[in-house]
Amino acid sequence: MTNAALLSAPWRHAPLDRPIGWHCAAYAHDAAIPWSVFHGRVGAWQALLDSLAPAGQRWLLHLREPIEFAAALIACWERGDSVVLPADDRPETLAGVDHLTQERLGDITGGHRAGPSAETPRWGTLDADALALSLYTSGSSGEPQRLDKRFAQLDAELGVQAQLWPLEGRLVISQVSHQHIYGLLFAILRPLCEQAPMATALCRYPETLSDWLGRLEETRRSQDSATPYIPPGAVLISAPPPLERLPQELDWEAAPLVLARIHSSGAALSRIASEHALKVLGVPVSEVYGSSETGGIAWRVQQQDECWTPLPGIEIRDDRHGALWLRSPFLSSPDWQRQADRIALEGSRFCLLGRADHILKVGGKRLSLTGMDRTLGTYPGVIQARTVSLPERDTRLGAIVQLDPERIPLDHDSRRELIASLRRHLSSAYESTVVPRYWRFVDIWPTNAQGKLSNALVRQLFRDLEDHRLPRWLGVSFEGDERCQVSLEVPERLLYLQGHFDEQPVVPGVVLVQWSVELAREHLPLSGTFQRLERVKFPQLLLPGERVTLVLALSPLDRSMNERGVRLSFTLQGRQGVHATGKIVFTTQETHDDE
Amino acid sequence: MANALELELKHLIIDTLELEDVTPDDIDRDEPLFVEGLGLDSIDALELGLALQKTYGIKLEADSEESRRHFNNLKSLAALVEARRVT
Repeated sequence: MTNAALLSAPWRHAPLDRPIGWHCAAYAHDAAIPWSVFHGRVGAWQALLDSLAPAGQRWLLHLREPIEFAAALIACWERGDSVVLPADDRPETLAGVDHLTQERLGDITGGHRAGPSAETPRWGTLDADALALSLYTSGSSGEPQRLDKRFAQLDAELGVQAQLWPLEGRLVISQVSHQHIYGLLFAILRPLCEQAPMATALCRYPETLSDWLGRLEETRRSQDSATPYIPPGAVLISAPPPLERLPQELDWEAAPLVLARIHSSGAALSRIASEHALKVLGVPVSEVYGSSETGGIAWRVQQQDECWTPLPGIEIRDDRHGALWLRSPFLSSPDWQRQADRIALEGSRFCLLGRADHILKVGGKRLSLTGMDRTLGTYPGVIQARTVSLPERDTRLGAIVQLDPERIPLDHDSRRELIASLRRHLSSAYESTVVPRYWRFVDIWPTNAQGKLSNALVRQLFRDLEDHRLPRWLGVSFEGDERCQVSLEVPERLLYLQGHFDEQPVVPGVVLVQWSVELAREHLPLSGTFQRLERVKFPQLLLPGERVTLVLALSPLDRSMNERGVRLSFTLQGRQGVHATGKIVFTTQETHDDE
Repeated sequence: MANALELELKHLIIDTLELEDVTPDDIDRDEPLFVEGLGLDSIDALELGLALQKTYGIKLEADSEESRRHFNNLKSLAALVEARRVT
């Protein structure tokens, strides 16, 4: 068996003709990226770093391409440097990290990238107690926190994972960002240490996954003695959002033949989603429970056991409040640490009971938000609920409620009726002053890239309260990079409702066009200046309180028209039919000066 | 036919209390404003009292029997404003 310990730097001794990367969209002959090429990339990154600063630096690293990210990371480590991984590539996030680091590396503004030519790598020493990297929490419980990880911590955790779930040369396909701990460990460091190939790109969409698995199966079947190494199967590194949304109608025939294992982390997978993933992909999901702070704590396969089994080496206990305490070799401190989750011990295993009570003062009264979430969860048709305090208003609460799709209210009256009924449901246990005043009903639980309902998403869900020009935003789902669907409601107090028709307030068409443009700029890579409208129609009036779906799609302009830019198509549809549809042309600056 | 003052008061209630799911049409002039009916509570009563003072110059004893009577429904509130307004 391969010695997989991080501290022994297994990448140095990897068989150079075996693949570390795998182009999943290609077939066997040109799919593999051998270790020899990877070593050349490590050398190229070291040459770049040498030109920037002497060894012993901290670098900001953000790179989407997994192989290139891995090469940059190893280049830093082998030089005696460490890295800071920003959570995302937003300018504010990067600016918040700059003061810690020498320079930016990667696919970001001002990021240095290694040259294309292969160079010989230099191997250094990895000191168990040295800082390997810093990364950030997902910000679901407050602002993101920076966490430092030493080599020994990463080594301990990777060793446990390799023992429980050995990769054995299988292809690692990831659907999660490696800028965070879970993706970093499972999708980058484990393949590097266990010498298993990783997909050369993140697998963002189910269509891509179906295609990749199909190709790998076909490649394996056509394998003969002359074909170079082909991975004996694949492991999928996933999370609740992509698993919940796996479309059944795609071709998944190859999935059970190719996939040896599916991992999910970031949040607990609902029982329904777990069954759905098993049904569609034919493989049970091995969930990992943990956090950026703690690393992995426990795991489960729901079909075998609803309870969580602690990872080897992790000690678990509870206290009289039911809170989880743990002692872990993956933590920098050997002391017992209290966690925010409540558990029920079942022998050596445990069940998760949700977050420990989040106590808040609302209008001068102490209130457990967690308790209110549980009460809301018992209302018929509620899948999950989260009560939140809102910025700018400390006397009133908001609630985000995920409902069975058929129970989502579609107009003013049904929404009002549902709210009244939910208020009555809560009134038996709560005083009316603490019952949420602002309700957001969603059909898909809104989550960020890490599968968490972040503070930023909460702000987005309630932003129409602060700005009466905006529609009520209730979630977005993507189909590819250039197409998305946004759920919206028309706030009853929308500024634009006044003064259009005397008797019946409606949303003017120009506002619908404005919303389409603003939401497209927010969710899609739309740039350029507004040029013209095409075939715009407003077949149905849109009334306050109505719920609609806005479908936005970008397509390139026809080049023969001598214009550069994109065409945005929008369709705003509700229960009554289409409220607005049309296309908007945006052009980018022509640069013909040099022709 | 809704009278102008009642419509004005409906808007005052909705805007002051930032009720997001209530339109003027949802407020019945005879229906209780508090507890059942519109479902307002003691914090709303305080805020509404302040708004009446600011808008119409009407001062009410907080939490008195009299205030409760005026706040009974929209009709009684309109009657109070009609009788006591100074602006």
